Amino acid sequence: MEKVGFSILSMNEDDQAAEANAEMYQDLNLVQIIDDLAAKCGFRVRKLFGYMPANAEEEAYRRDIYKDVKKKAVFDALIKFTESLAALEQLKKKTEKVQNNLQISMWGIRMVDTYCCAYAELARDLKQADPESEGLQVFLKILEDILATPEFQKGMEHTGAILKEIREMRFLITYEKDRMSIAFGEAPGDGAYEEWASSVDGAENEKLENPTAAEIPINELEKACLSVLKEKRPELFKAIQRSKESLETYERPLLKRFEDEILYYLSYRMMQLEMEEAGFRFATPDTNEKKRMEATGLYDLALALLALKDGRKVVANDFYYGEGERFFVLTGPNQGGKTTFARSLGQLVFLTKMGFDVPAQSANVPFLPGLLTHFSVEESVETGRGKLMEELVRLAPMMQDYRTGSYVVINELFTTAANYDAQIMGKRVLEHFIGLGCKGIYVTHLKELTDEQSGVVALQAMLDENGIQTFEIRRGVAPDVACAQNQVNKYRLTYEQLKERL
Amino acid sequence: MKVCLLYEDHERGREKDYYDTESIIQDLGLDSLFLVASKEVIYDDGEVKKLEAEDSFVLETLHKTMMVPLNTKEEIEFRQDVVRDSLKFPELIRGLYGICISVLNSWDEQGSGRDRINQGSPAQALVYEIRRLRKYCDALARIRDTMMRQNGLTSKGLTMFRGELLMAFPLEREANIRKLLDDVLFFTDRITVNDEYREKLMRPRIVLECRLEDGLKLGPMKVQEVSSETSKFFKRGGTREKIQRFREGRIPDSFPTIEDPRVLGYTHQLEFELVNHLIKKLKNFKEEFRTFFEQLKFQTAFYVGAIQIVQHIERFGMEYCFPEVCDRRDLMFEDLKEFVMAIEQRIHVIGNTTSLKQKDLLIVTGANQGGKSTFLRSIGIALIMMQCGLPVTAHSFKSGIFPRIFVHFTRREDSAMNSGRLDEELKRMNDIIEHIGDGSLIMLNESFATTTEREGAVIAYDIIRALQEAGVRILTVTHLLSFAERVYNETKDDPDSGVAFLSAERRQDGTRTYHMIPGEPTFTSFGLDLYEKIVGNIGTSGSV
Repeated sequence: MEKVGFSILSMNEDDQAAEANAEMYQDLNLVQIIDDLAAKCGFRVRKLFGYMPANAEEEAYRRDIYKDVKKKAVFDALIKFTESLAALEQLKKKTEKVQNNLQISMWGIRMVDTYCCAYAELARDLKQADPESEGLQVFLKILEDILATPEFQKGMEHTGAILKEIREMRFLITYEKDRMSIAFGEAPGDGAYEEWASSVDGAENEKLENPTAAEIPINELEKACLSVLKEKRPELFKAIQRSKESLETYERPLLKRFEDEILYYLSYRMMQLEMEEAGFRFATPDTNEKKRMEATGLYDLALALLALKDGRKVVANDFYYGEGERFFVLTGPNQGGKTTFARSLGQLVFLTKMGFDVPAQSANVPFLPGLLTHFSVEESVETGRGKLMEELVRLAPMMQDYRTGSYVVINELFTTAANYDAQIMGKRVLEHFIGLGCKGIYVTHLKELTDEQSGVVALQAMLDENGIQTFEIRRGVAPDVACAQNQVNKYRLTYEQLKERL
Repeated sequence: MKVCLLYEDHERGREKDYYDTESIIQDLGLDSLFLVASKEVIYDDGEVKKLEAEDSFVLETLHKTMMVPLNTKEEIEFRQDVVRDSLKFPELIRGLYGICISVLNSWDEQGSGRDRINQGSPAQALVYEIRRLRKYCDALARIRDTMMRQNGLTSKGLTMFRGELLMAFPLEREANIRKLLDDVLFFTDRITVNDEYREKLMRPRIVLECRLEDGLKLGPMKVQEVSSETSKFFKRGGTREKIQRFREGRIPDSFPTIEDPRVLGYTHQLEFELVNHLIKKLKNFKEEFRTFFEQLKFQTAFYVGAIQIVQHIERFGMEYCFPEVCDRRDLMFEDLKEFVMAIEQRIHVIGNTTSLKQKDLLIVTGANQGGKSTFLRSIGIALIMMQCGLPVTAHSFKSGIFPRIFVHFTRREDSAMNSGRLDEELKRMNDIIEHIGDGSLIMLNESFATTTEREGAVIAYDIIRALQEAGVRILTVTHLLSFAERVYNETKDDPDSGVAFLSAERRQDGTRTYHMIPGEPTFTSFGLDLYEKIVGNIGTSGSV
């Protein structure tokens, strides 16, 4: 039986989570990452990233499939398959304008053949690759059932036979005295003109291309040739003419869905391979509930993708949540890598939930039911509301998300409020989320928020001995550093530096 | 295929010019030499009848070639041998040069210049290309036959060229290429007009092995047969044509290609593609001879120049010889004459004979108008001519090879004494020093005369000593007395000093013979001669 509702993104579609908050994609720079993936596999993949799995089981379902996709045999089979289908898609577009009935029939035959062969090959290759994930195993079983139906079998046979005959047909066109005549069989006379002409000057033996090969519709000369051929091979051409083969007969919603969804895994895998080639590391995250949440060598994937293009430096960091630790409060100098670190944490949680490998050397991420983000916003001209107002409007629904234990990323809240007010509001927000059993990170310039509070861990962005940003994040409260000194440093204008330079 | 008439193993390419060729040409007056050498001398009964107009290509070629020194004895002798053959068989060289000119010109005339081709249709461009290939064939065959007929060639250059040509364009290859070009005649000469002004039609016979693509279009084809056949041209719509059509219409499994204009259009497209496909087969041939004619034109132009140079040497009644290469510290010649002066002033030039062995610094002194500069220039011109394989105007000439020749001449017309001029001179010297190195020769003509004698002498002394110590060959004409005296006094007792002194001979009565004779530097004018005669003794007694 065909299981129409089958998906390789979800075991049980009733559990499909609601569309994630669009702002989160902006905040964590996931938009850039997804754009990069879409550039590899087409814009269709974008919408697949808009939903997150609803529970730990669903996450594991994807993670297992991704593990399979990482195997070379599976990956190669899938790539070959998607390339065949992409070529078919191109062919469909190109043949749209064909008007000759005979040619329409023939293209129908050819496309059905390509489509069926692509799936038959996929089934064969996948079987050989022996996938371990439930998702791919079930898919393979369903696919084999579909291919075994008499409809598919007969179709493939029929189209295959006609194509074979067309492809094997050889004939001679003799053009003289303003007439072209066509005959099957060997060339009369010595024949081997091509070989001789090539031997005159040591040239390659090449075929003469049809000058209109690039055009899809047949032209009048070809029509004239075909009408002679038709007389000589009436059965074959009758079979073509009568054939009403069309892709729609063979397409299944379930397969269509698979064609889209497989790009979700392939696009990420291709990106990962490219990044690994450039020296960036990825790890399959553990989801051990008994161990603490942690990662080593964690970096911002969106930044790394840019680095691939412009060679900028990407700094990796380690972190862990110790016993009873729930929230990082990160302080430190401007441009010190605070936001990037917060983003990389958010990405870690997001990518783990999506079932992918994560941009880190190692990672353990126990299941987190939700991912909430809040990055400081620009004042909106459209709504006319002040910045504080905008922030609160966005914050309210987040605080009403009562899922226990979500992951929360907050970046610079209440920067326009008075310090005193901001402190109080900030503490309340922290208390609220900690009370809900959430984990998270809070980036702020208010050191007071690091004051002792249960579950809060202070982190700081580090400077080197010259006061230059290192983008390294460590535990501890950032010391007071004069802002001006930073600027002087940046331009290498301190006394010692000048002594050196002059 | 390579021409290799200028160098044994390569074509003229990006060989290094002399440094500052502009100064060399200006200071040695070589422009006059280039110009005269570009004019052929026409004889009538052994008498000079007239000079042909200048051939600017020969002029340019000489200019370019003479400014590139040869680096070894072998290279020089290779070229000298070709020059000897050229002098023996001037008509052969002129013939080759002429064929190149006519081929290259006819291409231009028929619009085969690259720009014109790009403007035309691809079919038009292909027609031009085929015609050009035919010209290649015709010209190559002519050159080959000319070379084959020529007996008595002894130079390696010309005999190798003949051998290479036979290898690269044997009769069989010519025949094959011509057959291929003839097979596609229908494309270039569809309608031909015969002697009786009755038109004939050139039509193709083509057999293609073909298959269908999946979409029923014709797939790639294999060419089985191609030829062009002449047939009578019947007026369209006439009875004769109708009969012919009827007859041809009975061919089974066929269709006409000229009734439906669309079918005809695609047929022509196929013809074009086929011809293009076949002509591409001659890519190697085209590539091989692409630059051949340009190279041969250039290289034979040089030898045409050489032939004409000798014509002019003889016209001015001078002797010539092929120089010999010797050690760099030696310089020997007999009756060396300044060629440019002969050309420009049409006077009988005095020759000089000198023999310098193991010398690297020659200081020529003497009063003005004594022929010092002429002497220096005559050596320079001879060196340049020798180093490009040409004969020189002397009874004999032996010198080492100097791939780097520098000239540092004071330009007399504006040699007013001022610091700006000296600055300019020093700057030029600085530029020269930047480039000077192994195998360098520098000619200094009245250098540093733009300052006071004392300063000039010091500057010259320091620079020349440094250059000499660096192994540079120096030829200098100077009237910086204290400089010359200082060098003379330091070296007169040392036979291995490597310094030689010559001075312009002046007879007792003051007449100048323009001969350079060895000896102590003298700067005595006529007045000083007298002084010496009358009060010289008082001077030496020290009691004035």
